[in-house]
Amino acid sequence: MSMQSSISHYSDQIKQAVVDKQLLQIAGNQSKVPVDDDAQLLSISDHSGIVSYDPAELVVTVKAGTKLSELSAVLAENNQMLGFEPPEYGNSTIGGTYACSLTGPSRPFRGGLRDFVLGTQLIDGQGREMRFGGKMLKNVAGYDVSRMLCGSKGSLALVTELSLKVLPLLEEKTYCIPMPEGEAILLMNKMQGTSLPLTGCAYFEGQFYYRVAGEHPTQDNRVEVSACSNAVWKTLNPFQPTLAPGEKLWRLDVESTNPAIENTIAVGMGGTRRWVASKNKPNHPYVTLWQSRFAPRNNDKPCVQKIKAGLKEVFDPHHIFKDL
Amino acid sequence: MDVIQALEEALNKNSILSSEEACRPYECDGLSAYRQKPLAVALPEDIDEVKQVLKICKAHDTPVITRGSGTGLAGGTLPLENSVILGLSKLNKIIHVDPLQRTAIVQPGVRNIQVSDAAAKYNLYYAPDPSSQVACSIGGNVAENSGGVHCLKYGLTVHNVTSLTVLDMNGETIIFDEKDDGIDLLALLNGSEGLLGVIVEIKLKLIPKPEAAQLVMAAFNSVKACADAVTNVLKQGIVPAGLEMMDKFSIQAAEDFAQVGYPVDAAALLLCEVDGSHDQVKVDAKRVADILTENGAYEIRVSQNEKERIELWQGRKNAFPAVGRYSPDYYCMDGTIPRSRLAYVLEEIDHLSEKYGLKVANVFHAGDGNLHPLIMYDANKPGELEETEKFGQEILKLCVDVGGTITGEHGVGVEKLDSMCHQYPEAELEIFHGIKAVFDNSGLLNPGKAIPTLHRCAELSHMHVHNNQLPHPELERF
Repeated sequence: MSMQSSISHYSDQIKQAVVDKQLLQIAGNQSKVPVDDDAQLLSISDHSGIVSYDPAELVVTVKAGTKLSELSAVLAENNQMLGFEPPEYGNSTIGGTYACSLTGPSRPFRGGLRDFVLGTQLIDGQGREMRFGGKMLKNVAGYDVSRMLCGSKGSLALVTELSLKVLPLLEEKTYCIPMPEGEAILLMNKMQGTSLPLTGCAYFEGQFYYRVAGEHPTQDNRVEVSACSNAVWKTLNPFQPTLAPGEKLWRLDVESTNPAIENTIAVGMGGTRRWVASKNKPNHPYVTLWQSRFAPRNNDKPCVQKIKAGLKEVFDPHHIFKDL
Repeated sequence: MDVIQALEEALNKNSILSSEEACRPYECDGLSAYRQKPLAVALPEDIDEVKQVLKICKAHDTPVITRGSGTGLAGGTLPLENSVILGLSKLNKIIHVDPLQRTAIVQPGVRNIQVSDAAAKYNLYYAPDPSSQVACSIGGNVAENSGGVHCLKYGLTVHNVTSLTVLDMNGETIIFDEKDDGIDLLALLNGSEGLLGVIVEIKLKLIPKPEAAQLVMAAFNSVKACADAVTNVLKQGIVPAGLEMMDKFSIQAAEDFAQVGYPVDAAALLLCEVDGSHDQVKVDAKRVADILTENGAYEIRVSQNEKERIELWQGRKNAFPAVGRYSPDYYCMDGTIPRSRLAYVLEEIDHLSEKYGLKVANVFHAGDGNLHPLIMYDANKPGELEETEKFGQEILKLCVDVGGTITGEHGVGVEKLDSMCHQYPEAELEIFHGIKAVFDNSGLLNPGKAIPTLHRCAELSHMHVHNNQLPHPELERF
């Protein structure tokens, strides 16, 4: 199917759903969110492939159904990569990753997924094809709809194509030091204030881990520091620990300097991400129950709820796209 | 009671300006070709006063135009005749710098450079550095999503803001934070040009100062060779902290002005700065110099110390005033293009320059494709400003046509409303207006800026004509 015809196909499907008052659930390869019975599947998994890629422009344009693994392989051939280290849940697509706004350990150092988004092609809830942003690293014409839709989980529009900034592939080395959680949090904050070229800082199972890219002073000449495998970053991203019966996994977003939180089993993203295993919800403003992955927190203040409801009317006035 | 009396009653009388003379400094921003006296200027001293101004203006159905330092280049804070200018320059406190967390909480009237100055004792700084950084305010930076010469590596304002406290037209407080769930409203607020809310507090990321930096200057015989060299630097995995290109006219002007030893016979000059750890900089500077030489640079200079590095930058940093000496007025454009089309775009600009009989100097943020043509004109010559504007619009159209955008970092304001019609079709513009209405149902926050009305676009002949169909056939034409 040519790109244009496949896009019109989606647009027709959405227009028909408006007529039929049929709820649609947008999905990629369903690696993260299963499709519910109450909605008809609108799958982008066949809408796959790289639309344009010029390594020297540091920009790739890709169809939303493209697998992360496929995209990363093409970039790697040109010594480039996605700078936000998206988690791989198994056949994950770039569109699904964008919809859930998922980013890996490098976020405090290189930015999150939204920081790499330059433009989108999308179809709104009336079946209208549109483009926002573009392929330029700098673009301030109009509101930044492309970035705004990061994390919208398919509730506002079907995003069919994305333009992303890419970065050179760097050689990275991981080091670790055994220490308690509280000390690790303090140390990772201190280190992030130095010129060491860090790309990751985490605490896991009694060890403080840090990752460094490119040329840097020798680290393991100190007794307590050992070089270790880069594999720990994959363990933490996506983080899928085995839990004791009755326990739940909670994802907390905090300030990097937040002291150690009870029942934490991992600290990631330079201290800004805490993973807590407990029966009860931790008492904290930014907590997500990660069991049912990507469940919304639903803790927005009324004024923010009103804005989100208003935007729903702008993008999807007939409420065709399922809210997740 | 009229709106001015109500404001005078609510705030300190000295905080409300309404006389012809007192309002004059607020008649325009950095785009001084457009001027309008506002009804009044309100200069609140704290957030409570900002809320009162908004409530009073809402009650009087009076438009509010929020203004920082007034350095914007697109007329984003141009007053309307019946509007109140909400000047936030007195909200100028740095509330807190947290060296361990590497963040700063500031009020919107704080100047960009003040943040880095306050963070300097911790060896930290605030990365976005628009060239107006000594004067421009952080609130304005957020409103415009300002860039700077280092944004290829360190990002724009949107990449360096972690939380915003915003007031809506009713004076209600809304906080947008990077930790929020779901759609990224924080990103939406960045670059929204004062149309969605009034920003009253900002949390910024601070980053460690690089240990070292080195500047490589290279001279080329052609623009194309220079652009190709940049391409190869980026292809080989180096992300320079700064990557600036100048054309022949700019080189000459900058050299006359700053006398730093730029090669005035070059067709294009490249300034490439690498930063990071001492080890990394040593490696990268050599690689950059080698790549540039392989790609036809006929003269290379690498800064050997801080003094030399800063001196070499002086020419580029003063390029605008340097060009300004050659002409009574100049008009600074802000298109962005794919780097691969640079040589073509500069050639086309040359043709347009001949067509309009107006000289142009070009400086280019080569890393991110942001082109700043400076059109030289004389505002005292009847009709020359109008010709300059037409010329400028043709340049922006050219940028869109090669796959770029009409504004990389200056914003749309009033200046580029017509060009927005060229960049965005009707459905997208409708979405933009829809977003505006969600945040500001009254339409009183900076009305008429940033997003053109559909009627305006319909009236312009250079709209998208797709498949020979008239754009917006449903709209009346006057």
